[in-house]
Amino acid sequence: MSNFLKCLFFMPLFVFSQDKVSTSLYPAYIGNIEFNKEIDKENFKLCFEKHIYQYFNDSHGLEYRGEKAALEREFLKEYKSEVIKNETGSIRINFVVNCNGETDRFRLIAMDENYNEKQFEKSITEQLLTITKRLKGWKGKQMRGNNVDYYQYLIFKIENGQLKEILP
Amino acid sequence: MKKLLFILFPFLVFAQPNCNAYLYAGDTLQYKACLLVEKAQKYYQFEREFHEVFDDALQIAPNFAYAYREKSTAYLKSGDFLTWKKLIDKAVELDYVQNLPYRAWCRYQFFRDYKGAISDIEKLNSLVTYDIGYGINGDYHLNIMKAMCYSALGEKKKAIKTFLTQLEKKVYSAGLYDYYQLGVTFYEIKDYKNALESFEKQSERNDIAENEYYKSKINKLLKNEAAYKKNKEAALKLYAENKKLLDPYTQHFNTVYYETIVSE
Repeated sequence: MSNFLKCLFFMPLFVFSQDKVSTSLYPAYIGNIEFNKEIDKENFKLCFEKHIYQYFNDSHGLEYRGEKAALEREFLKEYKSEVIKNETGSIRINFVVNCNGETDRFRLIAMDENYNEKQFEKSITEQLLTITKRLKGWKGKQMRGNNVDYYQYLIFKIENGQLKEILP
Repeated sequence: MKKLLFILFPFLVFAQPNCNAYLYAGDTLQYKACLLVEKAQKYYQFEREFHEVFDDALQIAPNFAYAYREKSTAYLKSGDFLTWKKLIDKAVELDYVQNLPYRAWCRYQFFRDYKGAISDIEKLNSLVTYDIGYGINGDYHLNIMKAMCYSALGEKKKAIKTFLTQLEKKVYSAGLYDYYQLGVTFYEIKDYKNALESFEKQSERNDIAENEYYKSKINKLLKNEAAYKKNKEAALKLYAENKKLLDPYTQHFNTVYYETIVSE
């Protein structure tokens, strides 16, 4: 009985300490993309679950076979530009490239020209997502001699529905 | 020069303010907040703990602009323009002298927000009488950046005038790629004579693959076969030596890719 009372006494402390971690305003690292079984592939494997780097951590920036020119060519070929008035701003698609150069966990945000959140027409966002998901040229990255997983993003500058620039 | 800037880069980015400056100004709250954020130095700017330390500092001094700016950086580098803009706007509102030039540069470099960058530079020029200085990585003076923004928006004559106004200042020494960017702008309006002159000046200072590539293009157009071949070979050699426009975060304005040089 006394052990039971001790457990009751200490239990709130354990509960509180767990809550402290989960109620932080921030993920462990800004920009982390957690697995979401509703939209992410179950069979997408990370090599190191504990940490996913950023694409610039190795100082080599965006690395794609055939350089960014090859990536831009894919969008030029696949993206069907339609003139849609007022569909102007930027769309960022963020995702993970694993140590085998495979991609998943795609997430999208968008803004108008004044940095206000914006919802673009699906004909634009779905095309960009589909083409981004099909890209196969991502190079693997290494940190301290180890192959690593990393976050990459692409920003698409859109002017009246037309794709004008791809960043970074 | 480039190597020196790379070495200095982390310090330029992460330079802590002098906490005593707040104390001398009689602002004890910002002084305390400033001392507190020294604790954040051990964290990576993407880490949760880094942001929590800066949030604690803002609890002490809600007008501590430096905290907003530091918090904005991880969002900038991960392309989250929505959160970045809210934070950096707050930093600018509280201290435009320190943060308006930085916001202008970031709008250009990370989001190719040419109009926004020009607007920030014009505002800055109207508010201060001193030289507005360089972008955060030291590659370009902010007036040269403004010229590139005009060029990107198709305002080529305005761009050239802005380039030349800066380059002709007695107290200004041309930056790492200034003459290259000016040369490309001349090339785009088919002023090949001035373009070549600019590219030659770039070669004398800091030759890069892109610069030789444009020289080869012009010499091909002018039917100078020998010069064209020489320039193209030089471009490929410089490219192989990694002597080209480089940045770890974003592609430079007017970057030229390997396959483009080969197929010229």
